Amino acid sequence: MSSEIKYVTAGIVDDDKIFTYGFKKFTGIKGLFDEILDFSNGLEAINYLRDPRNSRHLPDVLFVDINMPVMDGWEFNDAFGEIKSRLPKPITIYNISSSVDLRDITRAKKNPLVADYLLKPLSEAYLTEIFHTLQHPGAQLQYS
Amino acid sequence: MSFSDGHTFSGESLSHLAHLIDNKDIGIWEYNPDTKQLKWSAGFYSVLGYTPDEIECSYNYFFEHLLYYQDKQTFVKTTYSPRLGGPRTAHIRLLTKNNGYHWFESTTHRRDTAEGMVLYGILVNINAIKIAQVKTAESELQALEIGRIAKIGIWEIDSRSMDLKFSSEVYDIFELNNHIKLSVPEAIEFFMPQYRPIVEEAVNQALTLCKPYDIEVEFRTAKNNIIWVKCKAVPVLDEYGRCITIRGTFQDIDNVKRRGLRLQSSINLLDDKNKRLQNFAYIVSHNLRSHAGNLKFMVDLYQETKLAEDRTEIFQHIKTISESLSSTMGYLDDIVKMQAEISKGTKLVEFQKIFDNVESALHTNIVSADAEIHTNFSQAPFINYVPAYLESILQNFLTNALKYKHPDRKPVINIITYKNGNEVYMTFEDNGLGIDLERHGEQLFGMYKTFHQNADSKGIGLFMTRNQIEALGGNISVESTVNIGTKFTVKLV
Repeated sequence: MSSEIKYVTAGIVDDDKIFTYGFKKFTGIKGLFDEILDFSNGLEAINYLRDPRNSRHLPDVLFVDINMPVMDGWEFNDAFGEIKSRLPKPITIYNISSSVDLRDITRAKKNPLVADYLLKPLSEAYLTEIFHTLQHPGAQLQYS
Repeated sequence: MSFSDGHTFSGESLSHLAHLIDNKDIGIWEYNPDTKQLKWSAGFYSVLGYTPDEIECSYNYFFEHLLYYQDKQTFVKTTYSPRLGGPRTAHIRLLTKNNGYHWFESTTHRRDTAEGMVLYGILVNINAIKIAQVKTAESELQALEIGRIAKIGIWEIDSRSMDLKFSSEVYDIFELNNHIKLSVPEAIEFFMPQYRPIVEEAVNQALTLCKPYDIEVEFRTAKNNIIWVKCKAVPVLDEYGRCITIRGTFQDIDNVKRRGLRLQSSINLLDDKNKRLQNFAYIVSHNLRSHAGNLKFMVDLYQETKLAEDRTEIFQHIKTISESLSSTMGYLDDIVKMQAEISKGTKLVEFQKIFDNVESALHTNIVSADAEIHTNFSQAPFINYVPAYLESILQNFLTNALKYKHPDRKPVINIITYKNGNEVYMTFEDNGLGIDLERHGEQLFGMYKTFHQNADSKGIGLFMTRNQIEALGGNISVESTVNIGTKFTVKLV
């Protein structure tokens, strides 16, 4: 199993168009992730995950911003918790934000559904590590 | 010496009696004003602590040396009494041998004999009683003074008869000058309606469960003054442990209580302000960080990318970030300026004028939204306020109402001002999208919180509005239903 290299799809959930653009561009240049889906708020992402037509095309990892209109990151976490067991494959959730508010950080870190809280700008090394663990599922730390 | 008022004693009995009297701290004297002859009993000497050879038995000696000079007149009056009908008894001070002046009760009688009129009398030492009396009077006076100064009185309820007694200070606090007797339910009627059940419950529990109580409640005096009082009580029990009496104090604590309440409300206000300031710091840091992060991101990408078209796009983003940074700084300036505006002070402003200014500033938006605005400032046409604040508050509400209008209907906005006592209120009601307060209530007045996916949602308006309102001592509340509309109620002053 550990020798198998998996095709890794990531998803970015953020209303910040520039950040989303940069994330896609940057991961493209660095060759991180094989495919990237983008959603401009939590509700869009949840609707996509829920839709059975997308069941063969779900992301392996989701980077979810905290501050978003319509459905923010906290609400997304809760909604994800509700549908998680019905999803055909495990999805690792990372919360991402520019907020250094300790209350936000502990709130995300305390949530067992959330693998980690990443402060923007995201570090290249950390993204690479996430990508490689997902690429080699035999050796990975299973978060979900 | 003769004891013959209807009863006769034998000589032996008489000496017995005299002996008894002599040993009872009672002195007997007899005086003939005509012959100036004076007789003192052995007891007379002993009540004063002398032996018969130590003092001279004469009226003159008694009057000049034993009787306290201030009591001379009182004593003399009793010697006239048999003739002129004055008092028979007097309290006088006599000089004792070892203890200075002591109080005595002197009673004078008159008897007519063959030799003419004779005065005789009895002296009883009442020093201990007199001193106790003086002390009681003093402490009563002190208690009265303490009660009066501390505005504290004493009351009592007899559990069997439910008879209620007040000390005069309680009546003072009730402002009942005529000291009429009140029943327990009548006394409870003096408390403000919302506190009556509390008082009733406390009294009942004291009576039935012997529970003491200590409550602070609002009270309306007979002269219609509303004051805070402290009502404290302990049950007095009989041997079986049943409450026979409730005894308590009643104190006017209005000054202290009001000061305490004011302090508490300013602590709450400060607390809120502190929280908002901290939030503000986090939000500013969040926004600046996210712009700075994006900027670094784009600059890095620019260096990594070789493609000209990518570079053009990245540069476009860099420009956007730079604009966002400037507008974020602009908001920060606004917030600082708002703080400066308050130092210019308040003045009398007319709602209609301010509204007209705002309406003309937003004219294009109002027309393009086809909004219908109804105002009614007739109940409170004027207010003492910071003019720039009032304008900004109205402008924010109006901008929001137009921005978040319902897509299916024409916006209808109602603005009303009214008074409640000295307070001036404004309500602002729209029929727009509404806000889900369950989800967003807490964040509604936070900075940079937007709940609708509008391109021009900036999330600063309500944050500013609330700050302006609270800076002038007011408050804001909101009611809203999704798809129905939103109503803001503002206590301006």
